[in-house]
Amino acid sequence: MDRAFKARLEARFGDQLTGPLRQRHDETEIRIGPGDVTQVITALHDEPAFGFEFLADLAGVDTGEVMQVVYHLWSATTPDWLRVIADGLSRDEPRVPSVTFMWKGAEWMEREAYDMFGITFEGNRDLRRIYMPPDYQSFPLRKDFFLPDDAARSPGAGVRPMERTHTPRNAPATATVRRAGA
Amino acid sequence: MTATKPRPDAHTRAQPDAPSDDPRVTLDRDLGVFEPVPPYPPRTEREAEFYTLGDGEMFINMGPQHPSTHGVLRVVLKLDGEKVVDLDPVLGYLHRGVEKLCENADYHQAICYLDPLEYVSSLFCEWPGVMAFEKLMDVQVPRRAEYIRVLSAELNRVASHALFLGWMALDLGGLTPILWSFIERDEIVEMLASLTGQRMLFNYFRIGGVNGDLNHEFMSRLGDWMSHATEQIEAGNALLNENEIFVRRMRGLGTIDSKAALRMVMTGPNLRATGVPFDVRRAHPYSIYPELDFDIPTRSEGDCLARYLLRMDEVKQSLRIIDQCLHQMPDGPVMAKLPRLLRPRPGRAYAGIEGPRGQYAAYVVSDGTDQPFRMRIHDPSFIHLQAVGVMTPGHLIADTMAVMASLDPIMGGVDK
Repeated sequence: MDRAFKARLEARFGDQLTGPLRQRHDETEIRIGPGDVTQVITALHDEPAFGFEFLADLAGVDTGEVMQVVYHLWSATTPDWLRVIADGLSRDEPRVPSVTFMWKGAEWMEREAYDMFGITFEGNRDLRRIYMPPDYQSFPLRKDFFLPDDAARSPGAGVRPMERTHTPRNAPATATVRRAGA
Repeated sequence: MTATKPRPDAHTRAQPDAPSDDPRVTLDRDLGVFEPVPPYPPRTEREAEFYTLGDGEMFINMGPQHPSTHGVLRVVLKLDGEKVVDLDPVLGYLHRGVEKLCENADYHQAICYLDPLEYVSSLFCEWPGVMAFEKLMDVQVPRRAEYIRVLSAELNRVASHALFLGWMALDLGGLTPILWSFIERDEIVEMLASLTGQRMLFNYFRIGGVNGDLNHEFMSRLGDWMSHATEQIEAGNALLNENEIFVRRMRGLGTIDSKAALRMVMTGPNLRATGVPFDVRRAHPYSIYPELDFDIPTRSEGDCLARYLLRMDEVKQSLRIIDQCLHQMPDGPVMAKLPRLLRPRPGRAYAGIEGPRGQYAAYVVSDGTDQPFRMRIHDPSFIHLQAVGVMTPGHLIADTMAVMASLDPIMGGVDK
């Protein structure tokens, strides 16, 4: 845990943080709104005090209530991984700016997040499905998409008709969607 | 009376009203999914640009069953004569939904889904997942277990690089090196089999340690191998390093500079071949690597030859690490004491490690139940495969294979 890094982040991005700055083990976590992604990422990358030149990972997360896009960054200026969470994307129309202007290699990771969660990355020139077939309709890693054996519990939006063949008896009438405590 | 059930593959079979009786003609038409140009309008700007032919250009499909695509990969090439103008990799033929499966398994079960991601370096796929789980649960791994992890993982790295050497030569048309490198790989794999019980999908790391302590068979095999490993590796390298055809073919091919490599978020040997000394083992130390003495080899050329030579340098460093592990191995337990049912507090954890191809990472979100709420797997093969699109244009078709082989992607990891 890098306490000095926490202070630096709070001093620089204080008004843009939408949640508590958390630190645990070798990770520092900040939460920002989707509108601030371009600004914050550019500042983290370009300013020598931060120097986060390496994008370690880009992931989509569905908490059951909102969508998030999670960036993990590495810099030589701190021994911590920096986790930037673009928080509070709506589940109906999740949109976030693309970071391909900074790291072109993020293109496929964003395509994957689009394929699995339906998150639209504005500015990504090639936002199409990457794993699932092009005529596929649903987004498999969303929390309302159940595996075939659980299909009867699904609210239906995320499930194809062929997956409903596994209807178990006594299936609950309404779906129970897991919610993240975090 | 029972109705005849249609065959499940009826839609791919010859239709009765097919215009030709020749089965080959029907087959061609029915496999329309493998037509280079997709049968629907372009979905994105880039797709529209790619599927528009310029003057004298043509499309050709490579894969998905092409022998040198290292798995099931389809690449649509846009060609001008024999020169590659642009390319579009089509993924998903090996997609299994590992992340979704992990979210429906408990923390112990999830580990065995990670093995088959990159089947030639399974331990490196397990490690970040296990490490992220341990961070989530604040588990302290015994030191002996950490040493055993590093020892077995470095052996796996040598095995993976040995296979890389063989595959790369095979993709260029050289048959001998793969026979040699399989001798070496087989020794290591047999060794790991006596330690873990499996030759390929080891499933050896556990939350809080490893599955079993070092045994006599493993140690005697390891001793045998260590006594001749250096000579064996040197001999294998000499086969290619001094081969003029190989060296001239690889030099200056698929060049990428350090700035472009960072823009493509490349890691591992492929990044270090451009001169950036980024290695997660040193850049973000984990396990016992801070206590070990080894170098990070780099090269500045950034071409296929540099990537090949860099991996061979890495093998030597791995041998140094294995040697140190054996000399410093402490006594003690190999598993932490843990309850059987693991319920971490709600939280998030990220773990990244340096594997033979680059940074392997896992990001886990816990909601307080015994299953991961979200399990994200980051695989370097996936990242590096998209760099082929930057490196290949301007080269010949045959060079596409050479560039791809030099990046060493494994389709199991790319498609997850």
